[in-house]
Amino acid sequence: MEAIIVRNLNKTFRVYHERYGTLKGLLLSFRRARYEDICSLRNVNLSVEAGQTVAIVGQNGAGKSTLLGILSKVYRPTSGEVIINGRVSALLELGAGFHPDLTGIENIYLNASILGLSRKEVRRRMGDIVEFAELGEWIDAPIRTYSSGMVMRLGFAIAVQVDPDILLIDEVLAVGDEAFQQKCYRKVQEFQKVGKTIVFVSHDMEAIRAVAHRAVWLDRGEVRADNGVEEVLAAYLESCRQSEDETKR
Amino acid sequence: MLRDFAELWRYRELVLNLVIRDIKVRYKNSVLGFFWSLLNPLLQVATITVVFKFIMNVKIPNYSAYLLSAFLPWTFFQMSLLDSSMSILMHGDLVKKTYFPREVLPVSIVISNFVHFILAMMLFFVYLLVLGTPILVTWLLLPFVVIIQLLLTLGISFFISCLNVFYEDIKYMMTVLLTVVFYCTPIIFLVEQIYYSDRIPMAYQGFILKFFYLNPLSMLMIAYRKLLLPPFNAVGITDLGLRWGYLGIAAFTSLIIFLAGYAFFNSKKWQFAELV
Repeated sequence: MEAIIVRNLNKTFRVYHERYGTLKGLLLSFRRARYEDICSLRNVNLSVEAGQTVAIVGQNGAGKSTLLGILSKVYRPTSGEVIINGRVSALLELGAGFHPDLTGIENIYLNASILGLSRKEVRRRMGDIVEFAELGEWIDAPIRTYSSGMVMRLGFAIAVQVDPDILLIDEVLAVGDEAFQQKCYRKVQEFQKVGKTIVFVSHDMEAIRAVAHRAVWLDRGEVRADNGVEEVLAAYLESCRQSEDETKR
Repeated sequence: MLRDFAELWRYRELVLNLVIRDIKVRYKNSVLGFFWSLLNPLLQVATITVVFKFIMNVKIPNYSAYLLSAFLPWTFFQMSLLDSSMSILMHGDLVKKTYFPREVLPVSIVISNFVHFILAMMLFFVYLLVLGTPILVTWLLLPFVVIIQLLLTLGISFFISCLNVFYEDIKYMMTVLLTVVFYCTPIIFLVEQIYYSDRIPMAYQGFILKFFYLNPLSMLMIAYRKLLLPPFNAVGITDLGLRWGYLGIAAFTSLIIFLAGYAFFNSKKWQFAELV
């Protein structure tokens, strides 16, 4: 069964040149607010089997984050169809909604409810979260006193508690130190074992080779390749090398 | 719209957590902490008492109580609208990176202001006991007026928070507009003072009354006053009492504004992530 089906997906963003000009543009019709339509995704077709792990690669601005944004319902498609079967948890940013003045515990409740967990569920899993985040006593301190690594560990610890059928991960794992990354990938592998569907964006070729079943290469909003990991990575890296050579010349 | 409402209900814990956050954070780094929530209305009560009891020397007994009975609900209305105008832009990172029903943001802001309003009202009841005004049966009807005001405030918040994403001028417009509305609404004056004023020609009296009675906000302010306090006695003006029919109209208008605001917000809310 397919966990994710994307058909003929297009996404266009309207970018205004001057944001504050929009009301003026409305009032003075002779001076229309200037804008550009930027096509971020073009006719994307994709289907992901339940239990599969798919890596999305591509250069900056290729539409990777936009695609994950649409799968997690943050953005609406301009046209096309998206079908999702199962509960989705999107890790587009760790620790969304964290407030620096609140303690670790208070922020856990807040962040977890943004991810869709109830207070009751959080209370039950509090022990797991604190343990995974390795925060110990710090959990009662305001998080402005935390190091950035601690904030990230806490964010990830909460996100993995959501127990989704489908996990969407956007580069968030690339930022931590070695130990943190190892820990995250172990968690990802645990998810794979219990048959969860994972779609992740990454520039870390090692990590992709280690966990992905399949890779999709996005190039300027279009699917350039969709195949086994090795084939796609080889083609993608080759094209990167070529464009680098061109800029050198 | 029902589906949107069901989704909002599913996220009610997020609303609750945002309200808790708002109240905790507001006074987190102040020495007096939550006491500020009480101190603000306390200062308003004290100022208005001093001004109208000792300086202005109005001939209506307990005039300060009549003013405060409308002034405190007005503060709730005003603060909710000012805060909610920025509610979506302030949470731009959240809107860009996570899925949740967007109306959670203005709704939680209105509710956290509502909590402060309830605190202020409790203080006001103590004030009434100190003044020695009678305890009235009509107090039991207050929850209905409060609910109507909540609907009206939410409805307008939906419009403002949504429009401010597209045109940031809305926030500045609100500051100016609210000042005008404040003086056009019977808050620091009584409807009766205008109605019986010698400067208003007889022919316009009916029109003036309609102006106050048909506007849901001013009708609510009048209702608070009439339900909280007994009819006043003064030379030359008599209390006009509460016109229930007009309160019914205000309830209906507020409901319409609420539904229209929510529908408008829903029609735009998935564009926010692209604009903030």
